[in-house]
Amino acid sequence: MKELTEVLEDWEAVIGLEVHAELTTLKTKMFCSCPIEFGADPNTHTCPVCLGMPGALPVPNKAAIESIVLAGLATNCDIEKHTMFYRKGYFYPDMAKNFQTTQGPLAFCMRGHLDLELSAKGAAERVDIPKGEDGGYTTRIGITRIHMEEDAGKMTHLGGSEGRIDGAERSLVDYNRAGTPLIELVTEPDLRTPEEARAFMQKLRQIYLTLGISDCSMEEGSLRADGNVSLRRRGSTELGTKTELKNINSFKNLHDGLAYEICRQAEVLESGGVIRQETRHWEPGAKRTIVMRVKETADDYRMFPDPDLAPFDLTDEFIENVRAKLPELPDVKKARFMETYGLPAYDAGELAGDVEVAEFFEEAAQDTDAAVAKKIANLIINDVSAWANENATSISASQITPAALAKLAKLLADDTISSKQGKEVLAALIGEGIDPEEYVKSHGMEQTTDTGAIEAIVEELMAANPDKVEAYRGGKTGLQGFFMGQVMKQLGGQGNPKVISAIVTEKLEG
Amino acid sequence: MNEYSQLGVRQIHEGLRAGNFSARELAASAFDAIDRLDSQVHAFLELTPELAYEQADAVDAAIAAGEPLGILAGVPIAFKDNMNLEGTHTTCASRMLETYVSPFTATCVAKALDAGSICLGKTNMDEFAFGSSTETSFFGKTHNPWDLDRVPGGSSGGSAAAVAAGMATLSLGSDTGGSIRQPGSFTGTVALKPSYGVVSRYGVVAFGSSLDQVGPFARSVEDAAFALNAISGRDPLDCTSQPRDIDYTANLDAGINGMRIGVVPSLLELDGLTNEVKHAFEQSVAKLEGLGAEIVEVELPNAAAAISAYYVLGPCEAFSNLSRFDSVRYGHHAHGKNLEQRYEDSRAQGFGPEAKRRIMLGAWLLASGVYDEYYIPAQKVRTLITADYTKAFEKVDAIVLPTSPRTAFKFGEVSDPASMYLSDIYTISINIAGNGGMNLPVALGEDSGLPIGLQIVGPQFKDENILRVGAALETLIDIPRVAPLEKGGRS
Repeated sequence: MKELTEVLEDWEAVIGLEVHAELTTLKTKMFCSCPIEFGADPNTHTCPVCLGMPGALPVPNKAAIESIVLAGLATNCDIEKHTMFYRKGYFYPDMAKNFQTTQGPLAFCMRGHLDLELSAKGAAERVDIPKGEDGGYTTRIGITRIHMEEDAGKMTHLGGSEGRIDGAERSLVDYNRAGTPLIELVTEPDLRTPEEARAFMQKLRQIYLTLGISDCSMEEGSLRADGNVSLRRRGSTELGTKTELKNINSFKNLHDGLAYEICRQAEVLESGGVIRQETRHWEPGAKRTIVMRVKETADDYRMFPDPDLAPFDLTDEFIENVRAKLPELPDVKKARFMETYGLPAYDAGELAGDVEVAEFFEEAAQDTDAAVAKKIANLIINDVSAWANENATSISASQITPAALAKLAKLLADDTISSKQGKEVLAALIGEGIDPEEYVKSHGMEQTTDTGAIEAIVEELMAANPDKVEAYRGGKTGLQGFFMGQVMKQLGGQGNPKVISAIVTEKLEG
Repeated sequence: MNEYSQLGVRQIHEGLRAGNFSARELAASAFDAIDRLDSQVHAFLELTPELAYEQADAVDAAIAAGEPLGILAGVPIAFKDNMNLEGTHTTCASRMLETYVSPFTATCVAKALDAGSICLGKTNMDEFAFGSSTETSFFGKTHNPWDLDRVPGGSSGGSAAAVAAGMATLSLGSDTGGSIRQPGSFTGTVALKPSYGVVSRYGVVAFGSSLDQVGPFARSVEDAAFALNAISGRDPLDCTSQPRDIDYTANLDAGINGMRIGVVPSLLELDGLTNEVKHAFEQSVAKLEGLGAEIVEVELPNAAAAISAYYVLGPCEAFSNLSRFDSVRYGHHAHGKNLEQRYEDSRAQGFGPEAKRRIMLGAWLLASGVYDEYYIPAQKVRTLITADYTKAFEKVDAIVLPTSPRTAFKFGEVSDPASMYLSDIYTISINIAGNGGMNLPVALGEDSGLPIGLQIVGPQFKDENILRVGAALETLIDIPRVAPLEKGGRS
């Protein structure tokens, strides 16, 4: 198979995503008062409603409606005031009523978009678009709709083949998840590369996390994506036959699965074959997609308005009340960080994408100048995040306080300590919660920035080595290093390299 | 044994307070009546004597302690077998739920029992409420206490017969297209379907969710009003239930002088309306006029399309509502060799012919392509019919219609489904529109000798109008309130 970049020279990939997010931060399910909790004993969070017992009726969870309206407002959607729930019929034991309550042609949120900013690295896959100075580009991805529905239960098939119901000896159902409110976002087929798909998911996750409507755990399945992809020859405007990648549970798998599928389709098409409309499964271990199901006929879900649930009539007041609860979204926050703290776009974006990290940064960076703010950003993005990732924890769970991090940043910014020393201090800060200033003093880390002392040493050295001074002035500028090394040696390694370098150069230049 | 179960609610209340009898004696009298009569009528599918005596003793203890006595305290009541009562079977008269035991209690049942009424048991019905004769019950038919060779109507035939025969003072039924009012008409009982939303549907096994409504059977309008007072009101578990804080007995004595009562001339020209029913209707209208009401002609131009709309919307909702009966968690199950086969076999064995007919009809009507041709137009017809009623009620305070075009028919007499569906011709449009309607027994047929009912329809959420008209007219009606229990004696 050809490489992705090679394929994309000739073919344009048309990608659309369906992103399911469980509203895990709500207390109760969509249509009953059972608690939402991941990992509870099977079937302990159930009641007549979510078990579909005869006579039970659904009552919509108002907080869930608020959550989806928040999601819609945050993704530039129009909020539809008059919508209904529909019943989507299918027989399968994971849905006790044998229909799923979902929305019909009109969802709560319609016609939105997100703007993606691809960095130089992420931009490489896109060949048909001019790149900016930094090598990146921005692109707008349309959002068709975000609708509300209930999740199904979880089935486990024992014995037989590959965990499927066919041939299983026994099948178990856990209805704890049944009825969990789920919002499904459907994009327009506007994505063109796997990197764009990844960027979209990452951005959407940041937004949902900022809104606080879901824990967005791809591992636990509270955020999952299906990707539709088809190819067409560059220049063509017709859509090819698409395949669907189901239940992708990480950003990497989303990217790699789509990349594989694009290459696979190209190979099929280039060898004169046709793409079948089918659902495929990405196997990260084997690095391939396999067929799950071939769609020969469209499923008939016998959708019709749910007669147990009155049509919604959202008032302007309700929508405005929800709008008033919108937190500062990552894009806005990023712009503000660039403006207020003078941060580069990358740093601002990294910090603004995580509510907790952004708050920490702002607390640390208050009353500091741009140079210190930049150092704080570096420390958080490079060092603290790496540590948190390695230890599967978060900045708030560490010993670091914003004030302590600010002190460390200041020591770095005014060259009191070197960046290498900074790492040592940070380690102590993470581990023991030391005070950086005291730590630097007690460990004798303060760099000599006393220009008078340094000037005296330089003058002494120049007097002792007139031949080298002569040679330097004759063009052997590499001798600057000799003088620097001597100065540093006399200072016992505690000199500030920047200051020394500047003084040495100045004196040598005469 | 005294026939206490033939007493009305107020008589029971006063008798208990005066110490003329105890609640335990009332319960015993009711079970005695059931012992004597129900082998012929077969109104009940399950009796709950333990619960009844426990409740009766609680009432007697309250009386002994001098506690205030609710109006329904000690009143024997029965529930249609599509209403959940925790720990009892709720079969919907279907093999599918033959062994199903309710894990919770329906709101209407809980409210009736909280009011102190004594639960006698669960009553027979058409399977899943599909029918107008109670002949489709998997557990055998119910006989009309006025003529044991005839049907009691349906689908709430057991609840109607239990009250008509004097076995229960009150009973609850459910009405999707006439399933309270039509058996009320056939058995000579006061039978009220309130406006949609007045009584919670929570815990009542759904047939057509947008049409179903629970209501009482009684032997007097006042008793029906007492029952409605107890079971109505907003229920947080049913989001279609409405907050209506009303005393439905408040204006029963107000008379109808000056009330405007509508009649619909075109609906008296329908084929199938028998002479005796038409005559009884005309006499009733004359009595209403005599009581001071102003009779006003109104039109319901789209009412004739109601049956067509109903047999689209009803089966669609029923198909979906009955999907849950898949044998996986409860209900009749066959051992299929795989999941699909198990679904098919379980449902093939568990459902009777009429249930299958409606499920298949609904599945077809909702299929893509078909949906747009039937469901959407049916919803439009629904909008038109609702508008018809709204418009008519700008001119009148109530409308009167026959309840059923004829009196009770013999078992097997109406065998093709389409003719059976026509027995609800006067009741269905009211479910479509969501208004309330009540059967009031007004005469014994001059040809059949069987009860004939008048249907009184009210503006939406003005069910008190219905009861007021019914109470006024009731004073001029003189037919037995308890059926004579005869066999083949009247035709």
